Amino acid sequence: MENYSPLLALSIFFIVVALLYVLFRPTKGWFWIIRKAFESSEKVIIEDVLKQLYHFETSNNRVDMKTLVQILDFKNTDIVEAVKKMTINDLIYSESDVLKLTEEGRDYALRIVRVHRLWERYLADKTGIHKKEWHDRAESMEHRLSHDEADELAAHLGHPKFDPHGDPIPTKTGKMASVHGVELPLLPVGSVGKITHIEDEPEVIYKQILAEHIYMGSLLKVIENNSTRIVFESEGEEFKLAPIVAANLTVALIEKEVVIEDNIARLSSLKEDETAKIIGISKENRGESRRRLLDLGFVKGSNVSIDLLNPLGDPNAYLIKGTSIALRKDQASKILIKKD
Amino acid sequence: MKDNNIDNIIELSNELRWQIGDEFHDNLTESIYADAADIVKDSVTTQDGEKRFRLDSKIDKIVTSKIWGFPIMFLILGTVLWLTIVGANYPSSLLASLLLDTVHPLLQSGANSVNMPWWLAGFLIDGVYLAVAWVIAVMLPPMAIFFPMFTLLEDFGYLPRVAFNLDSLFNKSGAHGKQALTMSMGFGCNAAGVVATRIIDSPRERLIAIITNNFSLCNGRWPTQILIATIFIGAVVPESLSSLASLLAVISVAVLGMAFMFGVSWALSKTVLKGEVSTFNLELPPYRPPRFWKTIYTSLIDRTLIVLWRAIVFAAPAGAVIWLISNVHVGDETIAAFLINGMDGFGFLLGLNGVILLAYIVAIPANEIVIPTILMLTVMVTGIGGGAGAGVMFELDSINATGDILRAGGWTLLTAVNLMLFSLLHNPCSTTIYTIYKETNSVKWTVVASIMPVILGFVVTFLVAQVWRLLF
Repeated sequence: MENYSPLLALSIFFIVVALLYVLFRPTKGWFWIIRKAFESSEKVIIEDVLKQLYHFETSNNRVDMKTLVQILDFKNTDIVEAVKKMTINDLIYSESDVLKLTEEGRDYALRIVRVHRLWERYLADKTGIHKKEWHDRAESMEHRLSHDEADELAAHLGHPKFDPHGDPIPTKTGKMASVHGVELPLLPVGSVGKITHIEDEPEVIYKQILAEHIYMGSLLKVIENNSTRIVFESEGEEFKLAPIVAANLTVALIEKEVVIEDNIARLSSLKEDETAKIIGISKENRGESRRRLLDLGFVKGSNVSIDLLNPLGDPNAYLIKGTSIALRKDQASKILIKKD
Repeated sequence: MKDNNIDNIIELSNELRWQIGDEFHDNLTESIYADAADIVKDSVTTQDGEKRFRLDSKIDKIVTSKIWGFPIMFLILGTVLWLTIVGANYPSSLLASLLLDTVHPLLQSGANSVNMPWWLAGFLIDGVYLAVAWVIAVMLPPMAIFFPMFTLLEDFGYLPRVAFNLDSLFNKSGAHGKQALTMSMGFGCNAAGVVATRIIDSPRERLIAIITNNFSLCNGRWPTQILIATIFIGAVVPESLSSLASLLAVISVAVLGMAFMFGVSWALSKTVLKGEVSTFNLELPPYRPPRFWKTIYTSLIDRTLIVLWRAIVFAAPAGAVIWLISNVHVGDETIAAFLINGMDGFGFLLGLNGVILLAYIVAIPANEIVIPTILMLTVMVTGIGGGAGAGVMFELDSINATGDILRAGGWTLLTAVNLMLFSLLHNPCSTTIYTIYKETNSVKWTVVASIMPVILGFVVTFLVAQVWRLLF
């Protein structure tokens, strides 16, 4: 206590705080980086190589060693070492520089893909983790879940067919549903379709799509399509996307024109003194919160109108089945209505 | 053979389920709901609901209007708090004079007349009885006033409108609008506030509300704040302004608590609670005349008495501990003196002292006995006159005399400010901790809710102390 001075105490305090920050700040903290380095063992590299080869194979692209090293975020020597080992173990073989999967290697790759997509499905349905984070979390989980655990998870989720982005989840035996549809920029003006897949890589583009509130399973109608932008209408709102962004959306054409209801809008766009009928709840609203909305009476055919506007703008209260229920804007935007 | 069949069937069912696709289950559920809605529409008729509804929506238009919504809200909640704090004074002093000034000496002389050994009498009467009596006297009246008023507002249907008005503020920090209600409830009692979080049905938002409820200054802490502010803050301004200054100081501490509540809610929702499921919805029930007597009865039984009983259960052993540490000697000093000396250094760093830290440790069961314990320990350590003997908690009628004792214990304006801050930011009382455990059923969240506020308290008081010493 003799050499106490407030300045000294303060500086020690701030040094400790700075140290803790450097060590434990989210994702970039040294502690996490070091822990991750320990995790990226040979197994992880092998599995990531298999997955990349599998993705290239399904998109009919060829990979050689050079591209592989560029894509994967590991030390080059480690990758080369892993590829050597995989060749010995009959997981891959090379045909004049092009790396290819053996039957066994493809099986292994499919298992990894299965775990990855199942885990994304799990995060979407059973947790409150934001969609931005699904991919990264699944990336690390895919190396940790065993085969049996994956089966258990699949059973728990009710053997889902697609992950939340619309990618098919391979079954235990390696069977996979096919994704219908084509990339959005290939659709002519005036065509109507349903979004069946939203690609989550690269991240920059995926984030733009998230920011636009474009949802899986939404119906859309192409209004304008040229080399600079693609404009489409979906659920009562107009979206403008650059072709490169729009290419990440896969849309299945709907042939029967009868199916589509006109004037579908989102509940969030309802004005005071307007009334509407509920058409349904967007697939984007899942699990617990979807069931709650159904419990409250947000079912097909119910009449809905605005009961109260909030003094701070959000949430508004909606009158449904004689009860006043307040919903936040992002929830109301996932309820589809048809205005009277 | 038989097993094989079963396997085949399961295999087939999996296969079929997969063929039907993901949307089947949703579609089925939704069509059941839609059918149910149709049946209801055809078979249920509603009578003169219209008229009531019109009155309801008139009230709603006013209490949620841009101009009147917030003033009405502040007025109502402010009135409830004011009535509680001011109104509880009279029954509290009545109970205190009965339990502490009349019954306590009676018990002491009774123990003397039957020749009870001094240590047994001290342990039971000065320790256990006094702590329990103190808790009842300070805790019962405010709760008996606050809970019925709050429950009446709830029953009338006004409180959900408050949640509705404030939701977007809470939304920004990742919380639920109904947290406004549990927070207000926390101004009465944190344990009751934690129980009240049951109205929040979204798991993540409910945990946030539980963990941050402690930042509402509860009934047990208001008197401490008011007393310390009156003695120390009121003294630094001219006398004509002193009551205003101390009032402002107490209000700023309460507002600071709300700021911490929002900040910590935000931090929790961004970090540890990120993965919890969140579902929001808020029903605005129709207004109805409150069932007055029923409400009074249930709020007294369900809320007040249960909380009071838990507090008594925890206060009794605390009284025993307080008496023991001040009377059991190790070497030539009491345990209390030993602990106080040990913690004085750390206390000084925080701008507090060993007495205060020890008082907060032994008074974990109830914030109500912090000041009596501090007074008793200060008198014991400094050896000045006054007080009622080692291990016997006391409070003085005269605020000036209380101030004199504290100043003799080395208190400065900094000590007072930091005590007010630490009183806001420290672990919840054991009743609340136990209630948190009951409600979350999780040791992890109970530990987080208990430790996090203390750490915050240490950091805040430490920073204030250092900056203060640099400036003055």
